[in-house]
Amino acid sequence: MTGRRTAQVLLALGGMFAWAVQFALIYGATSTLCGRGWADATLLAIGVVPFAILSTTLVTLVAAAILLIVSFREERRWRDQPSSTADAFLSQTGVLINGLSLIAILWNGVPAFILPACA
Amino acid sequence: MDFETTLTRLRGRIDPVLRCGGGLLWAFPLAGCSGVQSALDPAGGDAWDLYWLTIVMTVGATLIFVFVTALLLYAVFAPPERRAWLGTRRTIVYGGLAFPIVTLSLLLPYGLIVMRDVDAPQPGALQIEVIGEQYWWRVRYPAEGEQAEFSTANELVIPIGRPITVSVTAADVIHSFWIPNFGGKIDMIPGRINRFNFTAERPGIYRGICAEFCGAQHARMAFDVMALEPAEFDAWRRTQAQPAPEPAIPFLARGRDLFRSGGCGSCHVVRGTEANGQLGPDLTHVGSRRTIGAGQFPNNVGTLAGWIANVQQIKPGAKMPSYGSLTGEDLRAIAGYLESLK
Repeated sequence: MTGRRTAQVLLALGGMFAWAVQFALIYGATSTLCGRGWADATLLAIGVVPFAILSTTLVTLVAAAILLIVSFREERRWRDQPSSTADAFLSQTGVLINGLSLIAILWNGVPAFILPACA
Repeated sequence: MDFETTLTRLRGRIDPVLRCGGGLLWAFPLAGCSGVQSALDPAGGDAWDLYWLTIVMTVGATLIFVFVTALLLYAVFAPPERRAWLGTRRTIVYGGLAFPIVTLSLLLPYGLIVMRDVDAPQPGALQIEVIGEQYWWRVRYPAEGEQAEFSTANELVIPIGRPITVSVTAADVIHSFWIPNFGGKIDMIPGRINRFNFTAERPGIYRGICAEFCGAQHARMAFDVMALEPAEFDAWRRTQAQPAPEPAIPFLARGRDLFRSGGCGSCHVVRGTEANGQLGPDLTHVGSRRTIGAGQFPNNVGTLAGWIANVQQIKPGAKMPSYGSLTGEDLRAIAGYLESLK
């Protein structure tokens, strides 16, 4: 695989990596913090558990949004070049996967706004 | 015989079966909608929240399933020029992406809000402790104000309109405490105390069960739940806190003496007597309970006698041995004495 193709594949799958990182970090942080009895600890005036979830969500959300914007540009670039089927497919896949990953990251962060920490 | 005739005959035979079967198909699930042990007959606020979540999810999922199946059939059987719109980019984006994203984005916070609101601890809740044991329930009402503490077994009596907090644990293996009419189930884990919060809104008799396989007699581990008006509950609580009444007639006194000489008191408590065993259920007011054997039989002299004589045939694996060697007269006396402990 050429360097360009590798970059295209990584771009197409990037959102899923961001989602996986968010998933692992928020579950890991919540389990560790709750297990150590830090349910009521605060950081910058909000609970340390919601803080961990929200900060992780925000960072991965920005990452997924940047990947989505780049994917859109790539998709527009290859849209009108029917001779390059693989490029068009990868760019469309990138838009779809990065868009869905963005939504999945948002969904993962929603419980922090509704459920009490460590309940 | 041509194909049409065969088909007509076949339909003539199948239709009545389908009509009858269809009726049964509806009758079976509807029969489970109400009753003393049904999550589809909520008797408390939390149970209503869970009920509506179930209805929304089930009805929504069914409608979507039917719609998608109809589209699938349309895609297979419709003429190509009429089904072409199914494959357009717009259909895929709106139907395949936007619709599920919007639906799930609405369902997720709804489910989380229900999860947050049910089973929430309330101030001033009545505290009850329940310990799961193979294969029965030890129930303890801690002292509250002037009300003394006491223990009972295999029954949960609660007042309506007042929040209840049930603290649960287990003495041997993992059990699970579930009263379908009042909400979700909660695990009973040895060495750990879990809490279940609810408020009963409707007086009545309900049934709780063990919802985690706990051994050979798991299916015979149930309990009664009596939701009473507050005044009735207070009267019940005062009675339960009293020691056992003295036998009213000599026949019952003979039962008490046999209970004592037979060693029953080494496993059972009868407050007010020297029976102070802790292995089995507290029998101080066993006569006032609706059922015996953890919800297995109605409580009367006959079932009590049968239980004492034959427990290992009725509930093999229970810790109580069968006392089949008792004479009929002795058995009746012991059962009569227990039945008199109101």
